[in-house]
Amino acid sequence: MRARLLTMSCLLALLAVSLGQNMLYWPDPTWRAPEAVSAKPNPLAHKPWAAAGGKKLFLRSCAECHDKDGNGLVKKHSADLQLPVVQQQSDGALFWKITNGNTGRGMPSFSKLPELERWQLVLFIRTLKPAS
Amino acid sequence: MRTAILVVALLAPLSGLAQESPYFVTYDHHMEEPGNLEIETQSTTDVPRAGQKYYFAPWTEFEYGVTANWTTEFYLDGQTTANDSTIFTGWRLENRYRPLKREHWVNPVLYLEYENINEADRIQKELEGGAPDVSSPNAVLRREIDRELETKLILSSDYHDWNLAGNFIAAKNFTQHEGIEFGYSLGFSRPLATLASATNCRFCRENFSAGMELYGGFGSTLGFGFHDTAHYAAPVIAWAVSDNATLRFSAGAGLTHESSPVLFRFGYSYEIQGFGSKLSQLFRGKQ
Repeated sequence: MRARLLTMSCLLALLAVSLGQNMLYWPDPTWRAPEAVSAKPNPLAHKPWAAAGGKKLFLRSCAECHDKDGNGLVKKHSADLQLPVVQQQSDGALFWKITNGNTGRGMPSFSKLPELERWQLVLFIRTLKPAS
Repeated sequence: MRTAILVVALLAPLSGLAQESPYFVTYDHHMEEPGNLEIETQSTTDVPRAGQKYYFAPWTEFEYGVTANWTTEFYLDGQTTANDSTIFTGWRLENRYRPLKREHWVNPVLYLEYENINEADRIQKELEGGAPDVSSPNAVLRREIDRELETKLILSSDYHDWNLAGNFIAAKNFTQHEGIEFGYSLGFSRPLATLASATNCRFCRENFSAGMELYGGFGSTLGFGFHDTAHYAAPVIAWAVSDNATLRFSAGAGLTHESSPVLFRFGYSYEIQGFGSKLSQLFRGKQ
């Protein structure tokens, strides 16, 4: 049973690497949004149509490192945004991470985008689902 | 003929960025994204005072994001003066480093630049010390070489979609006894819309940002103050014409007698995303 699990994990890892996806992404444990910010709700949560604008922004500003489908790129060491470790974070935490970046790990700050556009990015990230 | 060659050479990168800051002189705390190369061609021209000649001073700038908190830039400057000549006026190498990892109310950036230019340089990318000499002929001015080390403290803040930035300049010219020269620039700007539409519209308000700059010199350690210094108040506007390209325009009003009455600036920038990785692929061994 254990050997099968190990084999499956290795195959999955190989597949991920061969596809260029970064399913092996492991988050920086020191990169955490303050609790007060994490609890912030998305002001666009009741405007799901705004996610389309978020997609446009994502393709323009994020896809270079996170790929068009948000699944990350191994060579860029970028996060696979479809992974539960990302999707389980609150809207406020994702907003904080887009705003501040993590310069030590190569993620730039996107505070130059207006606040609502950053919330649009969060809306779009919520739509990213792993391919079945 | 020489004018045409210079203009073509400096405008060569014309072809196609994400929304950039509208400032020409003021720096904010937003750095170039790591691995991206931005090629910019900008120019300064003015309405001359009586007895002065028209000039056009273009420059080309290569801005590269080395890391998420370190940006380096290289400039090539030129200048052409009506009924005088067209000349290359020198080069500059600058580095900006953002020491703090997170966004703060005030975000400092440290700036260091080395300039190897001559006195005919009129791009006025920043103003420090006294006003530039726009009356003497190029043949005289180009013989005076300036090798200068320039430092800036950039303080910038984003507040509810507004950017507020202040730059404080100190520059030392190693080839002339001018003491340490000082200057400043202040700016604020805001995008015209804060919600992105779903379509790739080019004339939507979200693609425009506007603001204002105020800049000038403070004299030097040999004579600190506003005497014989130039100062401008300049509205600025930027238009993201495509995902990679931005056009900018500014019309600055001279505030002192040493300033030109009006200083016009035009800029076009094109960003190549992932330039660093594309370049490294070229030098990688074949698989």
